Amino acid sequence: MNILSFLTDLLYSGLGNLASYLAAHVLLCLLPAFYIAGAMTALIPKETVTRFLGRNTPKLISYPAAALAGSLLAVCSCTIVPLFAGIYKKGAGLGPAITFLFFAPAANILALIYTGGVIGIDLAIARLILSLAFGIGIGIIMALIFRNEDVEHDKATDAMFAAQGKMRCVALIFLLVLVSLLLSGTLKVGLLTDTYATLTVPISGMDKFQGFLYNLIPYDSTKGEEGVTAQGAILIALLVLIGITSWKGMENIFDGFNIWTWTSLSLVALTLLIAAVGMSPRSVGLDILINGKFFGVLTALVILGWILKTKLTEDETRDFLWESWKFVKQIFPLLVVGVFAVGVIRALIKPEWIETLAGQNTLLGNLAGVVFGVFMYFPTLVEVPIAQMFLSLGMHRGPLLAYLMADPELSLQSILIISTIIGKLKSWTYVAWVALFSTLAGLIYGAWVDGASIGLVSLYLIVFLALLSALLWFVNHRNEQKSASVPADC
Amino acid sequence: MLTIKVLGSGCANCKRLEQIAHKVVEDMSMQAEIIKVTDYNDIMAYNILSTPGLVVNEKLVSAGRIPSEAEITTFLTNALMAE
Repeated sequence: MNILSFLTDLLYSGLGNLASYLAAHVLLCLLPAFYIAGAMTALIPKETVTRFLGRNTPKLISYPAAALAGSLLAVCSCTIVPLFAGIYKKGAGLGPAITFLFFAPAANILALIYTGGVIGIDLAIARLILSLAFGIGIGIIMALIFRNEDVEHDKATDAMFAAQGKMRCVALIFLLVLVSLLLSGTLKVGLLTDTYATLTVPISGMDKFQGFLYNLIPYDSTKGEEGVTAQGAILIALLVLIGITSWKGMENIFDGFNIWTWTSLSLVALTLLIAAVGMSPRSVGLDILINGKFFGVLTALVILGWILKTKLTEDETRDFLWESWKFVKQIFPLLVVGVFAVGVIRALIKPEWIETLAGQNTLLGNLAGVVFGVFMYFPTLVEVPIAQMFLSLGMHRGPLLAYLMADPELSLQSILIISTIIGKLKSWTYVAWVALFSTLAGLIYGAWVDGASIGLVSLYLIVFLALLSALLWFVNHRNEQKSASVPADC
Repeated sequence: MLTIKVLGSGCANCKRLEQIAHKVVEDMSMQAEIIKVTDYNDIMAYNILSTPGLVVNEKLVSAGRIPSEAEITTFLTNALMAE
């Protein structure tokens, strides 16, 4: 008997998770995020950052520049691998290249926004700061360990990094308005969430519809599950429409804009507005709560539309739309499958397992998070819903961060690509360092969550960094002596 | 005859550039060989920082973005004149 009903249960769990996910999280956070990533790729000339990555740039500038490049330019592997190879072979060398490689998947704009929207701003900020500190740290360590090999740069000039790029002012404003669209939709402050007016639309039956949805997709809020509301159902329907119109309008955008392009953009705007308002179905009609979010999103959309229509050149608009669509096409299907799978898995895992293993901020718990991250490969961004599942199953936020740091950095696929460029030894050394640093990041952040004071946490961090630099200094010193003792002419 | 190389590992933009290149060559009804370069060591030999890259007669003409059909037509015309 049981196998069939067991499988149906799993299927329901997966579908339910997917539906509530699309309805609740995707819109106000992920949709603008895709457009922001698209705008960054299309409108920021890469030269504005890459010129700081040449060989003659001082270390003090090249390391932060490498991190910045990771965050701003590298959402897609098309950019990550060539840029990594370029920095390593012809530019600033192994250290900044590693910093770039570490920072790009962990703290690129899409990953940060998504983590902030789904799990919490605190974890997104921790991810950003710790990735920055450790990315630069690992870069410096790698450069020191392998510094003998690092000198054999090829003899090409710095010309590749010399190009100067200038970002147009209007493109910058466009980007900032996109960011404010995201913020006004997701920030939870009174000014934005307060309701200023209520509109009652006389559609009856919406409350029954919502009850029907709750019956169809049962949920248990104690387990951190969410149901699908009537508003959610409308939004999912709109998402499907956007998908269809975008396919017709964006796929052939290089042949020119067509009616579908503008239809899909208008639908996106409409969807964001509907997602921003609050809806409460009653038996007499549907109450629409006009809140601050609605006005914020509306203002941002109007400005964006105006810039898009009058200020950007046709090439810029086309590149922007194409890059955004490309991200959606590349990432969204994987995300849908991933979220579905998470729903299925959630039904299989017992919370007690997670709680015993990683319910506390222990060394073992953090190690478990890292090991899971290293051996499981999830496509871009899918690590976030998975992390959310662990959180709702009782994982401590410390090991959770350890997992979030390790998972995007280390996948078999990326290790293989890297090793064709820098060799096996360097790749595995890098992997070991990432594993160590992720564990530490989890421990430190976990201690902070558990109530350790900022002072104590920074003390841990400083002691660790001091120990590390002492060790490095020692190794460096010994190597220098060794090389000095070798006769110069051999 | 022109030799056109599309540099890229096979990401969406690289495939798109290859399509456009084929289309331009057809539209101009010219003789050209279009080669896909996917090996990173070969790609790096052209000094580019992001793919897709477009190389006409061993000269790098564009990198990191998809040039429009009009631009590619200009690149090819220039290369033909230089021949």
